[in-house]
Amino acid sequence: MDPLILSRLQFAANISFHILFPTITIALGWVLLFFKLRYNATGDHAWMRAYFFWVKVFALSFALGVVSGVTMSFQFGTNWPGFMETVGNIAGPLLAYEVLTAFFLEAVFVGIMLFGFRRVSNGVHTLATFLVAVGTTMSAFWILALNSWMQTPAGFEMRDGVAFATDWWAIVFNPSFPYRLVHMLLASGLTASFLVAGLSALRYLSGDRSASMWKALRTGVYLGAILIPIQIFAGDMHGLNTLEHQPQKIAAMEANWETRGNVPLVLFAWPDEQARENRFELAVPSGASLILRHSPDGIVPGLNDYVGNHPPVAWVFWSFRVMVGIGLLMLALSWTASWFLWRKGTLPRPLAYGYTAMAFSGWLATLAGWYTTEIGRQPWLVTGVLHTKDAVGPVTAGQVGFTLAAYVALYVILTIVYLGVLTHLALKAAKDGDASPMPGVADRAMAQPAQAPG
Amino acid sequence: MSFDWHVLMPLIFAGLMGLSILIYVVLDGFDLGIGILFAAATDDEKDTMIAAIGPFWDANETWLVLAVGLLLVAFPVAHGIILTALYLPVFALLFGLILRGVAFDFRAKVPVHRKYRWNFLFCIGSLIASLAQGYMLGVYVLGLETGIVAWGFGALVALCLAASYAAMGAAWLIYKTEGELQHKAVRLLRFTLVLTAVGMAVISIATPFASARIFEKWFDWPQIAWLAPLPIVTGLAFLWLWRLSFRLPAHDDRHSIAPFLSLAAIFSLGFAGLAYSFYPYVVPDRLTIWQASAAPESLAIILAGTAFVLPVIIVYSFFAYRIFGGKAGDLTYD
Repeated sequence: MDPLILSRLQFAANISFHILFPTITIALGWVLLFFKLRYNATGDHAWMRAYFFWVKVFALSFALGVVSGVTMSFQFGTNWPGFMETVGNIAGPLLAYEVLTAFFLEAVFVGIMLFGFRRVSNGVHTLATFLVAVGTTMSAFWILALNSWMQTPAGFEMRDGVAFATDWWAIVFNPSFPYRLVHMLLASGLTASFLVAGLSALRYLSGDRSASMWKALRTGVYLGAILIPIQIFAGDMHGLNTLEHQPQKIAAMEANWETRGNVPLVLFAWPDEQARENRFELAVPSGASLILRHSPDGIVPGLNDYVGNHPPVAWVFWSFRVMVGIGLLMLALSWTASWFLWRKGTLPRPLAYGYTAMAFSGWLATLAGWYTTEIGRQPWLVTGVLHTKDAVGPVTAGQVGFTLAAYVALYVILTIVYLGVLTHLALKAAKDGDASPMPGVADRAMAQPAQAPG
Repeated sequence: MSFDWHVLMPLIFAGLMGLSILIYVVLDGFDLGIGILFAAATDDEKDTMIAAIGPFWDANETWLVLAVGLLLVAFPVAHGIILTALYLPVFALLFGLILRGVAFDFRAKVPVHRKYRWNFLFCIGSLIASLAQGYMLGVYVLGLETGIVAWGFGALVALCLAASYAAMGAAWLIYKTEGELQHKAVRLLRFTLVLTAVGMAVISIATPFASARIFEKWFDWPQIAWLAPLPIVTGLAFLWLWRLSFRLPAHDDRHSIAPFLSLAAIFSLGFAGLAYSFYPYVVPDRLTIWQASAAPESLAIILAGTAFVLPVIIVYSFFAYRIFGGKAGDLTYD
């Protein structure tokens, strides 16, 4: 294999592993703030118990996000030097602002949030929780600004093959940025809410009926039920924005080989790029025209206009369907569960099983969504500016192959351990219920009580 | 004197990058060092040692991201050359940092009987990361050479840097702990201090001989006269710290922060020497900071933000260090 494909796989492995954790922490930070504010307002210890359980999950996810994020910051130089050489004048400041405004804020205040509970006043601790949530969100802001700029670049000019900034406002608020930012923040909200509800459902199934379990369960279920319709709407808007600015990506997502009207909505197919047609197609007549043009005979761009300049179709087509499919499952589950929680005040066991199974569904949907948009940008690294193949570095295939194998092995192990530890923490909390001693009371740093024997 | 941004901007950013590398080395130095010292600690001591760095390590590591970020942002061409030349050591560094970062959290959350596993990985990860940094420093000093000499020299610097991080870790423990662990830290400090001194001496001797240009910068008259204090002061600081170590821990815990501060000073002096040697090159003898620099307009945007944000970061970092001041494990504040 050549270094290009290996480097691409390595970047994909690193960023896929990395995004799992910010996807949780961005929204979980706000959920923690919600728990803390409820506690401050009601004085109900169950809220604080919920906070202490979920702050451990936050700490773990945050640590994994930090270490995999450090890897990301080196990747540009080790594998993709052409990227910074060409668009460094744009990407540089955006990355720098992420470090300056987000990383330090998170990193410093997460220390106070985790370990400072008994060292600062309750107000300062609440403030630290708030600032951590702000930090993770700011981080998303800058990274999505950069990613969106790579998708739909604006506000720059090329001189001697190097991009120079002309309008920073246009660079940050490039055409796809507002849509992508909202879509990603909602994705994070859904990932966190299904995780909160999923682990709480696991506790429920193992007999936990504690007040803190109920509080977290309700928070997760209701939050998910509120966010999912908004996300479907926002995703649709994002799709229309992509149709305008990256029509070849939409053509690949819909596996539409020809520009025409009355384009069907393909539900299932095997896109065959050699024959440039779909096999085993199952489609709703005029569906895509209706969704994308709001009229049955609306003209939808097809791949025939972009021969040699469009992404691999099957990947984009299928990851998009995985994302949408999970979204629909989320809608069905969260609305059914909300109805039972609201009207009957309980959660039927089948729904609890469903939530346990879907605890990490947000991960899958987020990854599938990112694969859709990132693979959908190919063959470009920066649309119309830099081809992916022109940015790769001089490192040999052997070296990249070695590091790729090591990263993948490490990431697989860490993911398994992470899932195992979360399950362990949930089952342990379920066993202790409301009887567990309040953390932070022991003569130890707050994140440490789990290490006490028992 | 005229202000030409094309001349000034790369200088400012080289300074900022140097500053963040130095802060990184001092701060992450002590928590990496404590990871290395795990090899010599009992299980109870390990918990105290973790408590001594718990609230800080994350922010400490962020200085590395800032340093690499500044290299990436301000000197994109150099960033590519240096990191592709150091591809495997960078990988080792990241692998080590990942291991120790996750071990730090996992060790406290896995079932108790599996904790030893993560203690071990915390130690190994810290060691790998420190060795990788030392190796990179060594190879960089020799101008990113490859070959048996560069590897050997890199390995030597790797050992010495790991030892000096361990010394930083020991010094931090002297400050943050008491009782038996503090005594142990003093003994560990003495042992690692010797290796630190050897490492600095080796680098100081090797650097001028690796490059005729650097040799001239140091040993021509009159530079040698006003540069002489640098190694002399460094040597005196070593001697002072060595002597002090025999009086530690002192009555009322006096001077407990002194070892850490003097090591930080020693690191700064060594760093100043290196910076002087390599200036104005960012890739030794190949690319000056002006040749490698990004567009001044883009740097100006970053500088504006940095000028405003960096002081804020420093203020709240101090705030965090103050909140978690005092002895670790002694957490009964209200």
